[in-house]
Parts: sequence; C-alpha cells; structure tokens
Amino acid sequence: MAMNGQEAARTAGTPAKKKKRSYGLLAVGGFDMPFLILLLLVLSVGLICMFSASFVYAYYNDGDSYFYIKKQMIFALIGVVAMLACSCIDYHWWHKAALPLMGVSFILLIIVFILPSASGIRRWIRLPGIGQFQPSEVAKFALIVLFAHMVSLNHKRMKKLTVGFWPFLLILGAVCALVVLEPHLSGTILLAAIGLVMMFVGGSNVIALLGLLVLGGIGAYVMVFVMGYEYDRILVWLEPFKSYAGDMRDQAWQTVQSLYAIGSGGLLGQGLGNSRQKHLFLPEPQNDFVFAVVCEELGFVGAVIIILLFAALVWRGFTIAMKAKDKFGFMLAVGLTAQIGLQVALNLAVVSNLFPNTGISLPFFSYGGTSLVMLLGQMGIILSVSRGQNRLHQDLIEE
Amino acid sequence: MATSEKKSSSEMNVRAPARGMKLRAVLVLLVIVFVAFGGVIAQLFHWQINQGDSLQQEAVAQQLSDTVTSPNRGKILDRNGNTLAESQLVWTVIMSPAAIESEEDRLTIAEDISALLEVDRDTLYAKTQKTYSQFEYVKKKIPRAKVEELATWVSEKQMGGVFRVITDYKRVYPYGSLASTVLGFTGAEGTGLYGLEAMYEGTLAGEAGRVITTQNGWGEKMPNTLSYEKTIDANDGNWLVLTIDQTIQHYAEKYLEEAVRSTGCTNRGLAVMMDVKTGGILALAVKGDYDPNDPFTVADPDVLAQLAELSGDEESTARAAALQKQWNNKVVYDFYEPGSVFKVFTSCMGIEEGVASENTTFRCGGSLTVLGRKMNCHVYPSAHGTQTFAQAISNSCNPAFMNLGLSVGAKNFFKYFVGFGFTELTGIDMLGESKVTSALYYDDTMGDVSLATNSIGQTFKITPIQMITAISAVANGGDLMTPYVVAEQLDSAGNVVKATTPTVRRQVISKDTASRVSAMLAAAVNGGGSRNAYVAGYRVAGKTGTSDKTETAQTENNVWASFAGYAPADDPQVAILVVLDEPHSAIRYGGTISAPVAQKILADALPYLGIEPIYTDAELANMNSATPTVVGKEVNTAASLVKSQGLEYYVVGDGSTVLKQVPDGGATIPKGGQVVLYTETTVADKTVTVPKFEGMTLAQANQAAAASGVNILIKGLVTGATGDPKVSTQSVAGGSTAPRGTVVTVNFIYADAIE
Repeated sequence: MAMNGQEAARTAGTPAKKKKRSYGLLAVGGFDMPFLILLLLVLSVGLICMFSASFVYAYYNDGDSYFYIKKQMIFALIGVVAMLACSCIDYHWWHKAALPLMGVSFILLIIVFILPSASGIRRWIRLPGIGQFQPSEVAKFALIVLFAHMVSLNHKRMKKLTVGFWPFLLILGAVCALVVLEPHLSGTILLAAIGLVMMFVGGSNVIALLGLLVLGGIGAYVMVFVMGYEYDRILVWLEPFKSYAGDMRDQAWQTVQSLYAIGSGGLLGQGLGNSRQKHLFLPEPQNDFVFAVVCEELGFVGAVIIILLFAALVWRGFTIAMKAKDKFGFMLAVGLTAQIGLQVALNLAVVSNLFPNTGISLPFFSYGGTSLVMLLGQMGIILSVSRGQNRLHQDLIEE
Repeated sequence: MATSEKKSSSEMNVRAPARGMKLRAVLVLLVIVFVAFGGVIAQLFHWQINQGDSLQQEAVAQQLSDTVTSPNRGKILDRNGNTLAESQLVWTVIMSPAAIESEEDRLTIAEDISALLEVDRDTLYAKTQKTYSQFEYVKKKIPRAKVEELATWVSEKQMGGVFRVITDYKRVYPYGSLASTVLGFTGAEGTGLYGLEAMYEGTLAGEAGRVITTQNGWGEKMPNTLSYEKTIDANDGNWLVLTIDQTIQHYAEKYLEEAVRSTGCTNRGLAVMMDVKTGGILALAVKGDYDPNDPFTVADPDVLAQLAELSGDEESTARAAALQKQWNNKVVYDFYEPGSVFKVFTSCMGIEEGVASENTTFRCGGSLTVLGRKMNCHVYPSAHGTQTFAQAISNSCNPAFMNLGLSVGAKNFFKYFVGFGFTELTGIDMLGESKVTSALYYDDTMGDVSLATNSIGQTFKITPIQMITAISAVANGGDLMTPYVVAEQLDSAGNVVKATTPTVRRQVISKDTASRVSAMLAAAVNGGGSRNAYVAGYRVAGKTGTSDKTETAQTENNVWASFAGYAPADDPQVAILVVLDEPHSAIRYGGTISAPVAQKILADALPYLGIEPIYTDAELANMNSATPTVVGKEVNTAASLVKSQGLEYYVVGDGSTVLKQVPDGGATIPKGGQVVLYTETTVADKTVTVPKFEGMTLAQANQAAAASGVNILIKGLVTGATGDPKVSTQSVAGGSTAPRGTVVTVNFIYADAIE
C-alpha cells in the first residue's frame, strides 16, 4: 500500500535496461499527433475568435483593440512551450507530486481568504508582473492528479466505501467547500463534476454515487426553492426575456444580450468580425461569453463545427486514456480530458441559457493568461501519457 | 523466462486499466459528447434557427438609434408680419447612467445637477442607478445659459460621456397675453391645446424627422463597416398670417380691460373688430384672459385670492373651472341676449319689407300690451310719445320696435333672423364655436308676445360672433360674410400655401336698406342715445343694448351691457362689438359703459387704419390743432408760427431764441391752447398744479385749464349734442405738478345717456 506507482512499476517491470531508463524523469518517444493537431487547431480558432470578440471592448476600455489578443498570444506561446515541456516529463513523476500539490492547493485556497478584496469575491491571487490566477484552477489540477493517484493505488478495493468512496468524498468536499465560499459557484460545480466522474470511472460504489447525486439534487432544490438561495439566477434562467423586460433587467442583461447575439447569427452568421452585439452590448465578450460572439459571427454552422472540434479533442483524449499502459496514466488522461469536456459543455450551456448563468470560461477561447498556460501544461501531461503508451509498444516489439 | 514473462505480462495486465474502467470512461465520453454537447447544439438550433429572426429583430432594435428630430412649429404672425407666436430653440439634457464610473460620481451628479437644472434630487439619483441604460431624460427645454453652465460643470468633473443635449423647441408668445384668446397655447409636448394652436395643429406642427443610425451599447455610432444611417428630414410647420392687427388688438385689449376693471365686470368682457368688407377679424379681445406663455396659472388676481382661501378638492375644482374660464373664447363659445342692439335688425326688416320708412311715426305710451300682456318701455312710467323712426332708434324705444316687429310678422321676422345667420354657425376658423340650437330661439310659428320681445332682442340667445357678423352685413350693404381669422398659410420658405378668400354667404338686405338704416344709426350716435360712441370726423353708426339675463335670478348685476356699430356710416370699413358681462358699476347701461369702450377703440383704430376723417363745419370749428416745432427759431418768428395755428404762446425768459417749448412740436391741443416758449436755459421750468377736472362740465374744464396754464385735449364730446357731459377721467392726475403747457387729456361722458 505504501508503494507508489513508480516503485510498483520498478519492481514489476522486466529487467530490460531500456525499460529502466524509461522510468526516469524524462519521457521519450513520439506522442499522439492527432491530439496535438486537434489541440493546436482549437487553440488557433480560439485565439482568432477571442480577438474578434474582444476587439471593440478592448478599444473602448483599454484604448487598444489589440490589448487582449497581444497578451493572450504571448501566454499561448508560453503555454505551448509548457505543454511540450510537460509532455517530456514522465507522467509517473506526478505520483510523487500528487499529495504535495493538493497540500499547496489547500494553502492557496485559504490564502485567498486572507488577502484583501475590495469586492468581497475572493477568487484570484495576484502575482506582480505576471497577472492573476485562480487557486481553484490549481485545486482542480491537484484533484485530478490526486484522484488518479488514489485510484491507481486502490483500484482493487474501490468498491469498498471506506476506500473508494469516503476518502474521495472527504477531499472533494473540502475543496468544494473552500471554493464555494469564495464564492465561486461555477468553479465548485466543475470541481464536483470532475471529481465524481473520476470516482465513477475509477470504480467507486455506483449506488453510493447515485445516492450522493440524489442527495445533492434534493439539497440544491431545497437551497434554491425553499431557502431562496440564488433564486433570481434561476428565475432569469427560466424566463430570461420576461426578467429583462421586468424589474430584473440588470440580472438578465448578460443572458439576453448573449441570446440576441446567438439569434442574430442565424444559420450562417454575420461573418467573422461582424458581430454587432460585441459593440458594448454583450458585457466582457472576450471572456465567458466569447462563444456568443462566435455564434453571431459564424452562425449555427460555425458554432457546430467548433463544438465538433471540441468533441474530437475530447474523443482523442479518451482514446489516449484507453491506450494508456497503466491505471495512473489512464485516470490522468480521463480526468484531464473530462475537465475540458465538462468545462466546454458547462460554458456553452450557460451561453445558450441551457444552464443558469455562472461565470465559467471556455477553454482555449476565453481570455485569461495563467489559466491558458495551466490548461496547455495539462494537455502536455495527456501527451506524456500518449508517449508512455508508444514506448511500451516499442518495448513489446523489442521483446 | 516463460513464467517470468507470463508473470510480467499478467502484472502488466494488472497495471493496465481494467475493462470496467474503460467501459465507464466510454460512458462518460458518450455522455459528454452526445448529451452535453448534443444538448447545446439542440439549444443553439432553437435560438439560431427557430428563434433567430425574432431575436435578431430585438437585437437590431437596440442596435439602431432612432432619433426623432423636432420640426420647427410654424410662427403665427399678425397681418403686418409681427410675430405673435414662435418656437424658440431650447435644449433637452440626456444622461447615460451606463457611463457613470463610480457611486461617488452618482452622488455628485445627484447633488450638483439637481441643483443646477432644478430637478428632484432623489428622482435623479434613481436614474443614475440604471446602469444598463444609456438614455435617461434629465430635464427638458432648458435655455442656452443653462446648457453652458452644464458644459462647464461637465468639463470640471470630467464626465464627458455621461451627459449630452439635444435641441428642441419651446413655444413663445412675445406679446404675453396679447390676443391669447385667439392664439391659444401649446402643452408640454408642443401640441396645440387651445385657440389657433389647436385649431391649426396639423398646419403648424409640421412633420417630425428621424435619424436612424447603428449604435453601440453606449449609444455611440458604430464604426463605418457596420454603420447604417438613414435621415428623414423634419418638415417645419407652416406659418399662419392672421387678419388680426397687433396694434388694433392692443387698443381693444387696453380699453376693454379698463372697462372690465372699472365696472367690476364679473363674467368677463369682450371686444371684437371686423373688417366689414372681408369678414376678417382685426381684433378679438376677451378680458380676463391669460398669458399663453404660462397658461396654467390663473391670471386674475381676484380669482387667485379666492383660490387661496380654498383647499383640497374644492380648491382644485375651483382652479380647474377658473382655468377653463380664462381659456374659453367667449366670443364664439358664450351665448347672450343681444337686447336693444337687435333693434338694428328689426329696423332693417321694417325698411326692407316696406312696412316702415324714415317718415313713419311711432307712438310710445310707456308700455305696450300684446295679447293682454303689458310690456314696459325702459323709460316707464315715463313715455317717449310720438317719434320718427330715427328718433325711435335714438330713444331705443321698446313699444316702437315691438310694433314694428308685429307689423313685419313672424314669418318675415324669422326669414331675416335666419338670413342674418342667427340660427347657424358663422363658420369662423376658431376652435369651439357654439352651435345655436332651436331651443334658444323662436321660429316662424312664434306668437305675438314672443314676436314682440324678439323684436327688441330679448328671450333668445346668440353668440357674439354671430352679432358682429350680422352687424357687419348691415355695414357691408347687406352681404353676410364668413368671418375668419387666418388670412394666409405660408410654408417655412415664405411661399403662400393657402390664402383665405373672403366669402359672401348671402345678401340679406338690399344696399339701399343698409344705407338708410346706417344713416339713422349714425344719427343716434351723433348726439342721440348712442352718443357715447361718437368719434369726431368718423360718423360712427351703432346701437347700444342692455339686456337682463332672463333665465337667472333678476338681480341688477345680471345684465349684458353691449354696443355694436361700425364706421364710417356712409362708407363702412370696420364693425365693432363690445359686450360687458355682469358689470357691477353704478350704471350698467350699454350706452354708458360699453359705448365708450367702442368709442376709444375706434378713435385710435380708425386713424391708424388710414381712414381719413371728414369733419363737419361744427366739428371743424371745435377742432384741435397741432403745435408747430419752433425750437431754434427767433421768438418773433416762433410766436407768429404758433399764432398761425390758432394757438396762444407764453414766453419765459429774456432770450431772443426759443431753446425749449412745451408742449413739443406735433402735439395735439385744442385751438386756443397755449405753447410755452423758453428762451433762457438758466430759467427753471414754469410748473403749475394740474386742476382736478373730473366732474367738471366743459365750460368749467376750459376755465380751469386756462387759469392753471395746462392744455386740455377734450375727448368724448359730440359736437352740437344736447345733454350734460361731465369729465370722467383725466390723463394727468388732479393736484399733481406739471410743466406749464402740459397736455392733459380729459374724457367726457354723458351721464344721462339712455340704455
């Protein structure tokens, strides 16, 4: 039980010299090209769309139409370098990092509450000279690594509640509690979803998970409809235009402006760059609602193509997971890919009012430097997983 | 090796992801891709394909700025081109709360701007809270000075994006209350609510223009690639040129107001002057009226004082009634009994039908009994005895006219009644002309008692506009005109769009009848019962009337005192009607209180209209003289110049040259009056005490004037008339000090004039 994955691999592995070398810090061998190509495609499209969406807003708010794209391009370059670097690190290294990373995450999540905040919302930590980052993003990554680590260690006894359910739930609950207090509802939802997906895939007791979901559902219902928590948000979600026309104009503003943009796109769109809603109607179009501008400019056809690109990326990520040579790699790839898939789905659902409006960004599209660098770094880990699988294949051929 | 290899591969298998894990991962993948992504695609299909058009429409609605540009409302001019109403450029302030940067700024705006623009602080603060809004009205129609103050404030506080101003128009009436009854007024939105402003709303208003542009969320123009601009120019309203003459209107209002005040008239008075040849209204005055610049303020100080004592609903009801009253056009809206003035028409009927002529004599025994009903003359128990037709008019003898009416007969009487237009609308282009219904008059089936009372203008009602139109028909050789007040409509470039052509409705009586009646009416003014309307040189024809309000309680104040007439009698140009409703003066006869109003208006208006006076010898002998200008002349030369005008001179000082004269050259004083010539600058003005002329007879006044050294200009006297006229008013107060030679106008009144 005390063995970590690396040790397990060392003792279990064949004595072949090449193999020994392969368990060092650096991974070698080719990685999955389709995933990389899809990723770079999504990233490029995302940058173009973010540029178009931010153009006007940047001009009026920062006096420079290129304000956001310039920064985002630099971070994208750093991110790609980070991705390539991460892809070169043998992913087994993250076994060692799992617990310390979660420890750091907790410290950061607590630091947020100590730092002064003018608005009362404590989501960000500012790093002078670099920008700001969200500790919840770090926690999300730490959660994926830790859960992958835990599943790979305990895969045989995952069905047992004391092993495969309660420890996971304790950690997940603690992280979610800290994030929801920030308050950061969308971050909490995403963390919970990723955690539950990993527990489910990892083999936690399905009945316990279902029970948890039912309890969560009842809890949410009671909070909203009995205690009235976030009731306005739900009302806007259910009746956006009525709220807009009535006395909840402010609350419904963003959703309705987003729907105006989406609707204005029609089948084929207004053409790239021709959104009118980004002309200061849609608040912060470079951020969470970038996809509304995409819908307006590229139409239903363009929007579906971009969604299919995301779907292909997620599919390829899962394919890498399927081919992973061990459970740790598998769980890492599943967790990281699911994170992309879930965040994309949640963002698009918010933008199209399929889900109540919570502040959640669209991966590779929304503006945000540190977040993009972290995201690309994590994609590097998926690439690293794909590399390990290739090498195993090579090993087998040698033997 | 084999086992090792086997073990190794089995251990490999142990490390590899379990089958269950893979299956569950595939399930997650499928859920994310098909359920989540699929759901989003379905939702996008709903918004983009199903709802796309309607959402786009709403989006476009907010992306287009549709600015209405106000047209300039047409001016209203009097017949000489003087501006009676015009729209002036004003500014409306708009705020964009979305552009306010902080709560601190919101509070600053609420404090400073509410004080600067005089708006409610809390309302303004509430508007600043509408952070999604780019367009909130702050204050409408502020003058340029305020805009400049605002601009200074904005640059000081650096709130450039928050405020902007758009231009608008405000209606202004440069002469204040002048002709307010004719003009009416506009409401806050610039729409005509009363008078011509309402009647000609469609003509004056013009058409609003629109500027449609693409705008961004802050209400600014979008860049060129996306911009769309469509401008529909505003069409300015047409101008109205009235038949009203601002000068005559001023005379009418001035003298009418004096009379309404001095007689304590409680139900307002009216004075109308009409061009008899066209039917154009030269002046139409109602007092008390209001200031159209401030129409919602009760103008009458007495009424205001009464309102101050009320409160609550009672006060608001009374205020509403008072406003309604001051706005109403009494000339076209109110009904009244014409009384003796109507005898003009009875006279016309008698002459036209041949039942009477100038030689016909009438007997008055103080009363007349018709079908057992005894009706008194106004002199009862005294009587007029035997009179000629002209004397009967002059005496305004009731039995004479009742008899005349009876001999005309009900059928003929009603024919002329209809003919003079008393049963129909006159068709004047003014708002709210009241239609006389058959309940107000008797038709040709009326009995003799009704016919008798009808013949002296009682027991039926007409509107003042009907009266002035009918009396103008008599003046106009029998042709009944359609009265009108708008002569022309001009477009904003000054082209005539529409001109009113005078319309003859019909000829009611012959030219011959008209001129014969005119002569008798002129005689009644020239020394007869209507002599308070006499204007030297102008041969005024007219008739006075005092009628009881029969349907209300018979109190002494319940009368209409009126005068209707025209001048000159031999070639009538203008007709005039003066009605005082419920006067409270000691004497309430039309001949005493209404005729002098007509006389004063005519005396000013006739010379102004360029109608040459023709004086009789008697008038000439009594004529006034214009003082010559003699300043700078040798004393001797000056003296002979003064003498040659039939005037006396009085030299002050020992100089040889006239340095100053009193009165100035060109003043009108009676023949024999005195011109004071100053020959030294060092000599102080010779001052005298002005005598109190009021109450004096002509002889007494002349004596007092000569004794004191002031000149008197006599008005209101009929040359050669009998009676006992006395001075009623004087232009310079008695007892005051004035330079020797000052001209004091004294107005005479015949206190014994009949109704």
